[in-house]
Amino acid sequence: MPAFRDPGDLLQGTLRILILKSLLLGRAHGYAISRWIEDTTGDVLRIEEGSLYPALRRLQDRGLVTSEWGVSENNRRARYYSITRAGRALLRTEASIWLEYSHAVTRVLRAEPSLA
Amino acid sequence: MSDGRGSHRRRYSGFLRPDDAGDVDEELAFHIQSRIERNLALGMSAADARRDAVERFGDIAAVRSILVRHDERQRATERRAEYLADFVQDIIFGWRALRRAPAFTIAAALTLALGIGANTAIFSVLNAVVLQPLPYSQPDRLVTLGQGSSGEYLALRERLRTITGLAEWDPTTDPVDDGRDALRLTGVAVTPNLMPLLGAAPMLGRGFTPNDGEVGNAHVLMLSYATWRREFGGARDVIGRKVTLEGLPYTIIGVMGPSFRYPNADVQYWRPYVIDPQNIGLMWGVGGKEFVGRLAPNTTLDQARRELRVVWPSLRTSNPIWDPGPQYRRDATVTPLKADVVGSSEPLLWMLFGATLFVLAIACVNVANLLLARANSRERELAVRAALGGGRGRLTRQLVTEGLLLSAVGAVAGVALAVLTVHALVTAVPTGLPRANEIGVSGTALGFALVMAIATGIVFSIVPAIRATSAAASASGAMLGRRATASRSHARVSAWLVGGEIALAVMLVAASMLLVRSFAALRSIAPGFDPAHVVAARISAPEATYTSGSERLANFYADVLERVGAMPGVTSAALVNQLSLAEPVWSQAIRVQGQFEDVKHALPIVDHFQTVSPGYFAAMGIPVLRGRSFTDADRPGEPLVAVVSRSVARRFWPNGDAIGQRIGYPFDSPWITVVGVVPDTKQDSLRDTSSATMYMPWAQRTSMVGTELWIVVRGAGDPAATGMAIRGIVHDIDRGVPVSDVRTMNDVVDNSVAGARFTAGLVTVFALVALALGAVGIFGVMSYVVNERRQEMGLRIALGSSAGGVVRLVVVRALRLAAIGTIVGLACTLGAMHSLDRWLYGVSPLDPVTFAGVAALFCVVAVLASYLPARRAARADPAAALVE
Repeated sequence: MPAFRDPGDLLQGTLRILILKSLLLGRAHGYAISRWIEDTTGDVLRIEEGSLYPALRRLQDRGLVTSEWGVSENNRRARYYSITRAGRALLRTEASIWLEYSHAVTRVLRAEPSLA
Repeated sequence: MSDGRGSHRRRYSGFLRPDDAGDVDEELAFHIQSRIERNLALGMSAADARRDAVERFGDIAAVRSILVRHDERQRATERRAEYLADFVQDIIFGWRALRRAPAFTIAAALTLALGIGANTAIFSVLNAVVLQPLPYSQPDRLVTLGQGSSGEYLALRERLRTITGLAEWDPTTDPVDDGRDALRLTGVAVTPNLMPLLGAAPMLGRGFTPNDGEVGNAHVLMLSYATWRREFGGARDVIGRKVTLEGLPYTIIGVMGPSFRYPNADVQYWRPYVIDPQNIGLMWGVGGKEFVGRLAPNTTLDQARRELRVVWPSLRTSNPIWDPGPQYRRDATVTPLKADVVGSSEPLLWMLFGATLFVLAIACVNVANLLLARANSRERELAVRAALGGGRGRLTRQLVTEGLLLSAVGAVAGVALAVLTVHALVTAVPTGLPRANEIGVSGTALGFALVMAIATGIVFSIVPAIRATSAAASASGAMLGRRATASRSHARVSAWLVGGEIALAVMLVAASMLLVRSFAALRSIAPGFDPAHVVAARISAPEATYTSGSERLANFYADVLERVGAMPGVTSAALVNQLSLAEPVWSQAIRVQGQFEDVKHALPIVDHFQTVSPGYFAAMGIPVLRGRSFTDADRPGEPLVAVVSRSVARRFWPNGDAIGQRIGYPFDSPWITVVGVVPDTKQDSLRDTSSATMYMPWAQRTSMVGTELWIVVRGAGDPAATGMAIRGIVHDIDRGVPVSDVRTMNDVVDNSVAGARFTAGLVTVFALVALALGAVGIFGVMSYVVNERRQEMGLRIALGSSAGGVVRLVVVRALRLAAIGTIVGLACTLGAMHSLDRWLYGVSPLDPVTFAGVAALFCVVAVLASYLPARRAARADPAAALVE
């Protein structure tokens, strides 16, 4: 399946938004986060799952998420992540920037080609 | 495949010791496992499910290592924060604990303040004088070659390859007339290259140019910063001003910055040293000029020394006329400039530093003992904390933190003490410390105090902390069992500490007693003259006005002598070229008729040679043993005469009469007849072992002596008034002649032993502190022992023991402690005393009187310090003791 392979900074920032957004629903372990993104985008955005964990650590260092050990649905020990107040605030601003940006790109792509 | 138990075990072990890698593995395994399960649920084969899971994840190993590194770093940061929080808590807790026991805190902090303060003060001096590099560019490349003549200077400058930029300077003291009063400024004449050699430039105006060092051009001078400020009010227009030096006009061309003080802080001005190629020095090897140079690049001190060993003798062979004969020959040496500057102060300062380290060690032991006693009384508190789960390490840390807090308080007070005393200390050093102006409690000294505080804090709290926490640990099991075995072993540790403390104090007291005895021995030496009721003053007639040997000079001094001699109360007044015990008195090689006549052979050297006016022996109270003194008839043109001291007479004419014998200077000179014999007198110091002196009448030798003379006056009253009167008389004759250094001969004698007095005094102060601390230590231990054994004492009394018996029991115990400490201390003293040798005079380092005295002293201290606790023990109420 073709998917967007994470090419760099832009998608780094994207990954951050995706993670924070997924945590809005409640605390989740890493696998659940990647599953949520996969399911929500109909497998279009398939992140390299490994890069999820360093990203989570970075978010944790910045106080955007917290983590704790818990027990999973199938009764196994898993590390759960939750979003913090700072994380919600950041998500709000970044999401609006992202939306504005993608609208702009969309408008450009849909414009009539001018051959002048 | 992780089962529940495995993960549980890991979690538990993780609780004891965080397992970051394990946690990461667990998290990643969970992820992969979840994906595999999902894939299986989607109907993949087991192999495909696994492959897809791994593929989707990416580079597992890389991610794992990133996460592990991250988590470990994170954990370290957390640990630091936690540790810091604990530390802050410890400090707050410790501070409260210290405030709860103010008597203990004050006693301990004061003890430490004394120890740290004394150390910091002495270290400040040591650091500034000995440890800091000289304030010149690349100071470790600077060397001095000792003394020589200008002839040698020129030849060395020409030939030496290992030393560049050789400079020469001549310490002179010139009377300077700035148009107001006659000043006596201290200056040096330096070759124009000296300042560039040292890497120093003038702050104001210009420096010397090579041109300034040529004959006829030398009438310029540079002022020191201090002189510029003091004598010229710091005026910037001082450049170009004219002053009179030795009666000649000089122009001020520059002012050096405040840090430039070569060769020492006394120098008030520099003028160019002129080397006249026509007259490059009287005699090779005895020039008295100082040489300083810089090691050439890539050259070592050893290479320079080797080169000089070759070059120096070659100078003699190439200038045979000037070879002065073996007795004048001196080997040139290359010495690092700093060693030359610091000189004899270095061992003194190290010795004092050693003494203060002893005081600090004793202070530490004392505080350790106080802490020990206190920790013991806090046994229950510590036991409670141990029982509540405070680990032994945690408790130890708490106690050490309290110790550090205490030493911090002590250090702050100690540094304050050092700041207050260091200048008094510097000015108290009678011989004058080199680089004295650089001394202060610097950043380095503060750093030193900090290190001392931390070191002492740990040293004195570690033993009590270990003891207390082990006691607490054992006591926590049986909290109600008051007084476990701890008290007895406490007393033992405490006794060990006090024993060590006494041993240290004994060493210090023994050293101070030896120094005091040395000083007493030194001071009791008779100088050979009678210093009572004699006042001396220096009169500096300018060479330009009163040329050496001129009639004008003779008339001037005759005039001064006559008028001073006529002052009320004065019984005699006389002139001498160099004042005994106040400055180095020259030595002189002589010929002796019939024994040492030939200049080509080694001539004997008379230790001291003074040129005096006829009344000298009367004025100084030196009896004439045989023959006569000088008279006014011993004038130029009359037969030359001399007076010799007893050891000169004994040496050359052991079996006959010295009177009428003839001696002479080296080289061509007429014979001089000995007309009198006087006792030996001390000249350079009271420690002189040989004081063979030869005297010549000044009138017959004026051309050989400078124009600066001392006047000695016997019978005058108050020295200050006498000084004023002499100054008045001299200024009445010539306002341009300064009179300086007015002092009584008793002061001169005292001053000559002031170094020994200072050393003995300071070490005695340290020793007294050590003694006092030792007494406090004994008192503390005995109080503790008595307190612990109250019951036993009461029982003894109840059983009929007399109060005296109980007192004796305690005192004997203290004596035993003191005796052991004293014996150990004296044994160590025996081993270490040779290091004191250089300061001792007339007393052996193994002096039995001192050793017996120290032992007796410490017995007395032990008795005194234990008497109060013993009395208290004797008053123990037997009934109360039994009930308790």
